[in-house]
Amino acid sequence: MDKDIETRLIFIAPSSDLTPDRIARFVHNLGNEVSVKETCYGVVLQGPREAVRRTMNEVRTMDPNRIFSKIRAFPVGDIRRCRAHHGSRPGFAQLEKEWKDLHLVEKGLICVETGERPPEPKRRGRMPISDLKKLIDEVSP
Amino acid sequence: MKIFIMPPNSLILYDLVERFGHEPLSLMGGLRERVTSNEIEAPPLNVTTDDVKLGLKYAGIEIPSGIRGRLAIYGPLIDEAEAAIFMESAPYSFGCVGCQRTNELAKLLVRKRKVPILTLDYPENEDEAKDMVVKIKDFLEALK
Repeated sequence: MDKDIETRLIFIAPSSDLTPDRIARFVHNLGNEVSVKETCYGVVLQGPREAVRRTMNEVRTMDPNRIFSKIRAFPVGDIRRCRAHHGSRPGFAQLEKEWKDLHLVEKGLICVETGERPPEPKRRGRMPISDLKKLIDEVSP
Repeated sequence: MKIFIMPPNSLILYDLVERFGHEPLSLMGGLRERVTSNEIEAPPLNVTTDDVKLGLKYAGIEIPSGIRGRLAIYGPLIDEAEAAIFMESAPYSFGCVGCQRTNELAKLLVRKRKVPILTLDYPENEDEAKDMVVKIKDFLEALK
């Protein structure tokens, strides 16, 4: 495959009102010569690197703090990954967790935008031994 | 600047690093050429037997081949890194023990390079998320 071809995942944060369908239609209307495929979390773009980046920047204007993206190694529809070909998705647990956290990251981005300095969050402590004991007793009384 | 991210396939870190004007060094970038070239003999495996040998540059012979194979991909990224961001406290579902051990070793290799490193935890609430994004922005801006 041409080295200049890039595949990029576009994620819609769970707090956004956008739908993958709306983004796919928007990308089609741009006419940037990139392929677009709807997914459950957003869309996958594929095409020449510059065109994909330009498209991503334009898509991001739809909801700047709620649209996230990263590149993907496997091309669109690759039989090793595509579900239509019973491909495996070993990284999906991670994608799902990070997708769920996007509404929190959005708050952070708004904070950066407004120049607010957030308060230092409480440090996470370790689980006290007494709580651990309680858990053990629950499982094996 | 080129920023190594950990977890190396993190969506949140990839997006934030790019958003704040730097180039993320990610696993996806490292794997892209491998999975699209015709040299991979046995899909869905992503590494070749040569990779396991290449991994010797980054890990000793006593290290399991699975970790060495992974390090053959991570290693060149670490060599290129000019700074790094680590996100800790990831859920267990992020990978197997082999992935975890590779990540530990990769973090050690980055630390040995003495590049600026920002270590954070995955946010669990709004305050932690705000703190995380602001810290990442400040860190990346200070690098420019």
